[in-house]
Amino acid sequence: MSGTHGTEKTAGPVLGTSTDTVPPEATSATGTPGDKADAIAAVTRVARAALPANGLITDPTELRTYECDGLAHYRVTPALVVLPETTEQVAAVVRACAEHGVPFVARGSGTGLSGGALPRADGILVVTSRMRAIREVRAADQRAVVEPGVINLDVTRAATPEGYYYAPDPSSQQICSVGGNLAENSGGAHCLKYGFTSNHVLGTDLVTPQGDVVQLGGLAPDAPGYDLLGTVVGSEGTLGIATTAIVRLVRLPEEVRTLLVGFRSTDDAGAATSAIISAGIVPAAIEMMDALAIEAAEAAVHCNYPDGAGAVLVIELDGAAVEVEHEYEQVERLCREHGSFEQRLAIDAAERALIWKGRKSAFAAVGRISPDYIVQDGVIPRTALPEVLRAIADLSSSSGVRVANVFHAGDGNLHPLVLFDGEKEGAGEAAEEVSGAILDLCISHGGSITGEHGVGTDKAAYMPRMFTDEDLDTMQLVRCAFDPDNISNPGKVFPTPRLCGEVPGKRKKPHPLVEAGLADAF
Amino acid sequence: MAQPTRVQSDEPQSDPRKAGAQAHGPVPIGSPTARPAFDDEHPPSAELISDCVHCGFCLPTCPTYTLWGEEMDSPRGRIDLMKAGLQGAPMTDSMVQHFDACLGCMACVTACPSGVQYDKLIEATRVQVERHHTRSPGDRAMRAAIFALFPYKRRLRALRGPLRAYQASGLPKVVRRSGLLDRLAPKLAAMEGLAPVLEKREKLPERVPAVGQRRAVVGMLTGCVQGEFFPGVNAATARVLAAEGCDVVIPRRQGCCGALSVHNGRQEEAERFARSTIDSFEAAGVDTVVVNAAGCGSSMKEYAEVLADDPAYAERARAFVAKVRDVSEYLAELGSVAPRHPLEVTIAYHDACHLGHAQGIRQQPRALLREIPGLQLKEIPEAEICCGSAGIWNVLNPEPARELGDRKARNIASTGATLLVTANPGCLMQVSSSLERQGTRMGLAHTIEVLDASIRGLPLSTLGPQ
Amino acid sequence: MTTLTRLDAAREALRSACGDVADATPADAVDGVPAALVARPASTAETAEVLRAAAAHQLTVVPRGRGTKLTWGRPPESADLVLDTSRMSQVLDHAAGDLIVDTQAGALLSDVQTTVGSAGQRLALDEPVPGSSVGGMLATNASGPGRVAVGTARDLLIGVTVVRADGVVAKAGGRVVKNVAGYDLGKLVIGSFGTLVVVTEAVFRLHPEPTARGFVTVPFGTAEEASRLVQTVMNAQLVPAAVEVDWRADGAGTFGVLLEGTPAGVEGRTAAAVRLLGTGAEAAGQPPHGWGVPPWDDDAPDGPRPTALKLTCALSGLGPVLGSLRRAATGAGVPVALRGSGGAGVQYATLPGSAPVDAVATVVTQARAVCTEHGGSLVVLDGSPETKAGVDTWGPVPAIDLMRRVKEQFDPERRLAPGRFVGGI
Ligand SMILES: Cc1cc2nc3c(=O)[nH]c(=O)nc-3n(C[C@H](O)[C@H](O)[C@H](O)COP(=O)(O)OP(=O)(O)OC[C@H]3O[C@@H](n4cnc5c(N)ncnc54)[C@H](O)[C@@H]3O)c2cc1C
Ligand code: SF4
Ligand code: SF4
Repeated sequence: MSGTHGTEKTAGPVLGTSTDTVPPEATSATGTPGDKADAIAAVTRVARAALPANGLITDPTELRTYECDGLAHYRVTPALVVLPETTEQVAAVVRACAEHGVPFVARGSGTGLSGGALPRADGILVVTSRMRAIREVRAADQRAVVEPGVINLDVTRAATPEGYYYAPDPSSQQICSVGGNLAENSGGAHCLKYGFTSNHVLGTDLVTPQGDVVQLGGLAPDAPGYDLLGTVVGSEGTLGIATTAIVRLVRLPEEVRTLLVGFRSTDDAGAATSAIISAGIVPAAIEMMDALAIEAAEAAVHCNYPDGAGAVLVIELDGAAVEVEHEYEQVERLCREHGSFEQRLAIDAAERALIWKGRKSAFAAVGRISPDYIVQDGVIPRTALPEVLRAIADLSSSSGVRVANVFHAGDGNLHPLVLFDGEKEGAGEAAEEVSGAILDLCISHGGSITGEHGVGTDKAAYMPRMFTDEDLDTMQLVRCAFDPDNISNPGKVFPTPRLCGEVPGKRKKPHPLVEAGLADAF
Repeated sequence: MAQPTRVQSDEPQSDPRKAGAQAHGPVPIGSPTARPAFDDEHPPSAELISDCVHCGFCLPTCPTYTLWGEEMDSPRGRIDLMKAGLQGAPMTDSMVQHFDACLGCMACVTACPSGVQYDKLIEATRVQVERHHTRSPGDRAMRAAIFALFPYKRRLRALRGPLRAYQASGLPKVVRRSGLLDRLAPKLAAMEGLAPVLEKREKLPERVPAVGQRRAVVGMLTGCVQGEFFPGVNAATARVLAAEGCDVVIPRRQGCCGALSVHNGRQEEAERFARSTIDSFEAAGVDTVVVNAAGCGSSMKEYAEVLADDPAYAERARAFVAKVRDVSEYLAELGSVAPRHPLEVTIAYHDACHLGHAQGIRQQPRALLREIPGLQLKEIPEAEICCGSAGIWNVLNPEPARELGDRKARNIASTGATLLVTANPGCLMQVSSSLERQGTRMGLAHTIEVLDASIRGLPLSTLGPQ
Repeated sequence: MTTLTRLDAAREALRSACGDVADATPADAVDGVPAALVARPASTAETAEVLRAAAAHQLTVVPRGRGTKLTWGRPPESADLVLDTSRMSQVLDHAAGDLIVDTQAGALLSDVQTTVGSAGQRLALDEPVPGSSVGGMLATNASGPGRVAVGTARDLLIGVTVVRADGVVAKAGGRVVKNVAGYDLGKLVIGSFGTLVVVTEAVFRLHPEPTARGFVTVPFGTAEEASRLVQTVMNAQLVPAAVEVDWRADGAGTFGVLLEGTPAGVEGRTAAAVRLLGTGAEAAGQPPHGWGVPPWDDDAPDGPRPTALKLTCALSGLGPVLGSLRRAATGAGVPVALRGSGGAGVQYATLPGSAPVDAVATVVTQARAVCTEHGGSLVVLDGSPETKAGVDTWGPVPAIDLMRRVKEQFDPERRLAPGRFVGGI
């Protein structure tokens, strides 16, 4: 389950059933520890030759700083970290990995919340934080060409002078990388109107798990052939490493109105949300926070949200000025009709920024009201919102586990924050249980186990609850096409690796992992 | 190339949740015979460390992360290193290198939504580093030179004036031999070209009476670098305070506040400076101690922690801390009475890290400046990123400091302002050489000098080249 | 072709798999390739049975929706069995409150629109070729003017159910708009020309139907003018729903902008657009002639099929691409008409069916070079058998090896529409 645990002491609260079903990570790189050490030494030699001297991290203490991403309770120290600066350097390292059967994991800024960038003890971590050039801002093409380590918000900063911005805006946009966004198909508040990362990445240079560089998509849409780009986006680094991204730039809207609306209850706020959408309005964003989440944000950034609110909605309308005016009137009225007791329209950029700051800091801010917490990420059809929120509240009161809710109300993407104190006996387990039950609620309402944070290490075990074996097997056909040896971020997304040996002309004898009873062959 | 084979676990198949536990049990990684990094005397607090949720929000504001893009030179990574130390990892050279590389700018503290008190963590860590780490001879010599020079006004005085840096014969050998002067000379030269009225050194009386009705009695810290290189700032501070109705008491016997020592883990030295500063201001009998150097103010506000273990001073330190105010903070609290004359100037206001990040003082100086008719205030892009001065950091790390300074200078120049205003002598020194390198000629002034000029109706030209 | 006995056995097997199996008629030929059998399964399960039977009897299979774009792409190497989805024509579920629709792949796109339209919603996919099924639209990734604002199928499809060549049924995505669990197989299926899997069910996100629409048109004469108009509109604050370029064979051009929204908003923006576009700009409530229709449909239906081209480029490349196409055609002595989304950088063009193959080949080569230079591609979607035989229809495809590997995984025996797609896939 998605979690951000502040403390080592909470490392691995027993994760209920999911713990036991997390399968072994398997790659073709099986062998004795000695073989592995040799293989890693071989890759290290290649990396040393290909990268600048300061581009390798081998010091054990330094390596430890890479042992986890934003989901800090999974920790593995990688065998080697490389900090390439060019596509060629990435390719050289990956080629060496392929040759020696060494698994590799890509990492951007390490803010992922599903353990996607969790390293392998027997593998290489390829960190893109030095590939941070914005190569081109092509306003006339409404595109930017950027390196994968470029920080999301920096794309917008670079495009703003030209009158454009990069629309997908995860709350972590001040630090998460475009490469990480691409791999996770990240969403954000404004994705309700503008779509997710997959709608905004038009091309990439991908270093395949064989170490080849292929160009997928490009400046123009509809490249002939299979839409491999569409599959790579959101594949969580399991199909190779993106070393360039061509992203769409969106024209800055003529008018933006940010409205903060206070409600007595989440029920009222949810009803207002539904009413707005049913009225045919597509706001740029509708975000909801409940009382507990408001308390945390208030403590962290003093965002001055309405006093005594049981829930707030942050609603943003943007577009042509006349349309915005019209929508604003309707939204204002609909909120009033659904019990809002305070509406505040941001009068300037500073107020707007403060409203958003409260929302965007909410996850991390929960650290201020609870020693530990789990960030959950599930999706439900929007119409099921009131029902599911009530069910979550029931879960919370029956278990005594506090749950704060922050979410993208417009598209039904919930982020319940399950609070606990890892020092207290059994608290971690209780929280995990509630967190898991919330996912089950999402599935039973026809939703998804993740709307934007990805499956990663964390939810691989949940995949079979949402998909059949056949579904998973079919997805993994793609994996087999890209990465038959299962060395690109192995162990993530899928609960059980599919062995790709049955393809005609490929491996004929049983895979060593099957023989060892470590994996299933479909 | 032995390290890569020293992986945490021979069992890649093992559950990562357990791998964490296995890997970081009590057995220290690295050399098995090595001592754990920290002793039990105030190591960085595990509880404060546990506040970090690993979100990474602090990374983009961290100057070393923006420079090198490495986790271990980011706040999050440094916290991980502290955690490793607490779990028994030895204090290796590389670990120390990453602690040393921290500028102490505290941008991460501002950025952190989770409220991690990195300032406390790094200060505790630095004390441990000083206790347990043996530095290279060159590093030691440089540090010895710095701490033999800066806290001593008379020695600093030997550096004043364009060519004196090279003569500087009045300085101890440890300073002359270290190469420190070669690093300082170009900066001093650049600064003398840009900062206002450096030559004039007014001698301040022990008490400056309030103009008009007395509203308060305040003490004033003169500081070492401020006092020697920017004496005009002290004079201006006294004048403005007086103009706003304060009797200003300037204790003769005050020495260094110990900021550099506090921020560099030199615990005993820091304690010594703190005690004597407390002594002199207690003797002066003032309700408020006004400070015009951001670095000094931030360290004086930390005296309670510095002297927490000293039974004779702990309580006095707490009382003292309650009285310390940055001059802009104080003036904003007091409210202005002295009329302002117009200054037709566009300024760029630079948040000194030790004012903005460490003391959270951002609005007050801006509000004071905006009170001046005709003055236009511009915000500097990437304002949260340090200029690279950071106390003695720029002397110890000249190369990266220059990169940061140049980056800051470019951002400053992009505002189109003609006067740069900030509240820390270090920033002025640092930025002036970068501005000069990039060929931007603009005036440099302390916030209080601008206020002083406005209150006295002085022309702009007194604030350096426009 | 299969031998008679094999065919009998296959027919037998198919009949036990599916209630509707018939011998093919000449009308069932796929782009000139005769088919032997036609199966019309009524469900996903039946489709799976049919594909299992086809696998058992080594039949090649060409999936077919309503057959409106069956000649697009290259002719298949063989087409033993046409798998017709027209009996899977139900719009299964319209969840208006959630703005989604779940439909069988054989449903007419127009039926879907009628269903969702009753709630004031729309599936924001244009239908350039009338009578299309949902599955056919997906397989060919056909698009129209509306893509400027809402994108194409890849931006709207949120879940699919597919049947693999080996008869395994799988789904990906789901019924919620936001979902990143697992690989997005839907993307892979879009534009795959039936060579990867058979789509049997699809879930789309919907948009509210705008309450007002307005068109603004202005004539243009040169490629540069067209390009300048596109840049002007895209850079302004008009929030256009469509930005179309229509350049007839005689050189007369019409640039058109569609504005959608509220009546007041559309009125305001329409006026702004008229001002912005300058002399000759006119507002209208109705679309201009040929709006959203591919240019080849203007041609007389008799005679050899006209050549249908799809040209893509970065937005700034529009001028050079249009110019080079016109020059190449003039040089080769053939007329060319072009129409498409200037705002998206996707144009359709047509050369008459009567144009000599080497003239077509020359135009294709020259214009393709310019498209490629501007980050795009040129594909010959359709044409006479001679044309398809004589020109490189798909052109160079950068990641072709990887695509072959994908095909090999999904359909190792090359059962589905073999040869129809890029690189002989
Ligand atoms: C406080 C907080 C708030 C957040 N809010 C949101 C939110 O609103 N919406 C949202 O969607 N997410 C959110 N996230 C999650 C996270 O920020 C996103 O998933 C982000 O896209 C991760 O980017 P990163 O650079 O940190 O990637 P990492 O964490 O470093 O990596 C993420 C995954 O991408 C892979 N990867 C990284 N770079 C590449 C590459 N170049 N090529 C191939 N694979 C690569 C990694 O292997 C890993 O699987 C939040 C996280 C935090 C801590
Ligand atoms: S104090 Fe400054 S340099 Fe040190 S970790 Fe924090 S942001 Fe980085
Ligand atoms: S911002 Fe705070 S919680 Fe987040 S990584 Fe940095 S120190 Fe840790």
